[in-house]
Amino acid sequence: MASAVVVRSLVNRNIASALAQRTVRPFAVQARRAHSDTAYVPGGPIYKGTVNDPTTFPPPSRAHGSHHWAFERLLSAALVPMTAAAFVTSGSAFPVLDGLLGISLVVHSHIGFDALLVDYIHKRKFPVLGPLLSWTLRATTVGVLVGVYQFNTNDIGLTELISKVWAA
Amino acid sequence: MASLALKTVPSTFARGIAARSFASSAARFQAVPTQKPVLAKEFKIYRWNPDEPAKKPTLQTYKIDLNQCGPMILDALIKIKNEVDPTLTFRRSCREGICGSCAMNINGQNTLACLCRIDRDASKDTKIYPLPHMYIVKDLVPDLTLFYKQYKSIEPYLKNDNPPEGREYYQSIEDRKKLDGMYECILCACCSTSCPSYWWNQDEYLGPATLMAAYRWMADSRDSYTSQRKEKLQNEMSLYRCHTIFNCSRTCPKGLNPAQAIAKIKLELAAE
Repeated sequence: MASAVVVRSLVNRNIASALAQRTVRPFAVQARRAHSDTAYVPGGPIYKGTVNDPTTFPPPSRAHGSHHWAFERLLSAALVPMTAAAFVTSGSAFPVLDGLLGISLVVHSHIGFDALLVDYIHKRKFPVLGPLLSWTLRATTVGVLVGVYQFNTNDIGLTELISKVWAA
Repeated sequence: MASLALKTVPSTFARGIAARSFASSAARFQAVPTQKPVLAKEFKIYRWNPDEPAKKPTLQTYKIDLNQCGPMILDALIKIKNEVDPTLTFRRSCREGICGSCAMNINGQNTLACLCRIDRDASKDTKIYPLPHMYIVKDLVPDLTLFYKQYKSIEPYLKNDNPPEGREYYQSIEDRKKLDGMYECILCACCSTSCPSYWWNQDEYLGPATLMAAYRWMADSRDSYTSQRKEKLQNEMSLYRCHTIFNCSRTCPKGLNPAQAIAKIKLELAAE
């Protein structure tokens, strides 16, 4: 509830100029207004064009399409043997494997969180909060990657830490 | 005329016979139908009237004698509309599961009312809602305009720049087999409206029904636009909002498997 209020105020500010001539409307309406070029019909959906026009597709991009999907799946599959390998070996004996596992885990969770944002807080519906959270996620991922690098080079490393915590 | 002649008949007969005045022969009088006991079951049906937009949607309860009703949910709906409340609004046409008009949410499952049996357990009520997360026109009638616009966007027809001359398209038995399980889709929208991804992102995500239709034309050996069809789906939203939830395959009243078709599209796109 509180977040919805925050979103509303942010959106108000962002598209205030577009809606300057309009009175205050519920948030959902404004978000839809911002995306659609057709008039809003109270209580009904907004269609682009007439009812006989097909919906349109975003410009094709393999990076956002099949390459993204294939990379995500291969990474997920690769994590299984990598985790097993980290389990049977020692992190300090194989620092490359340790580092690879660290990077893979972080990238894997980055993709997961990103899917979450695209599903629920997409920028077409949340023109301010969406990009804000996307960049927060990117910054966090970079930060964690740097942290893992530091931890793996200057300290005991990820695998050793987990085995120590496990034994403790 | 008939009512005059029936004055002497016991009143229980009179009601049944008044409805069909032709059945006044002597033989008909002797055939006393065995009276089944009343099996009253409650149906709770979603009601919303666009003429009163300020009024919130409500569940209205109807009691139906199951022994005086056909076996399917659609029979109950028609009985309610005929005998109890003519303002109840729903779509129906073929009553045999081939038109897809009567798709609705019955006891939490998207299905066709004409293919869904009434649970004979009268102690439990049956709840009927329109397809979830759709704009409602009235009562059980959802607005499927966007669904149809999306279906149109995948160009659901044969596209081939070099049709064979002087003969029809030939197709091997194996190639024809690839279309089985997809061409049977009746576009009732049960699968798409059961998909959470479609609930949240239906303005961009195509949904299982449209994606299976898209794959039906990709898999067709007679179609020469496969690569263009694939190219259209190469973006974040149209196809890849599918998170293999499998609600589509679970709910399909025709027993089809849209999730498998989507998985095949993903595989073919990745293998390109």
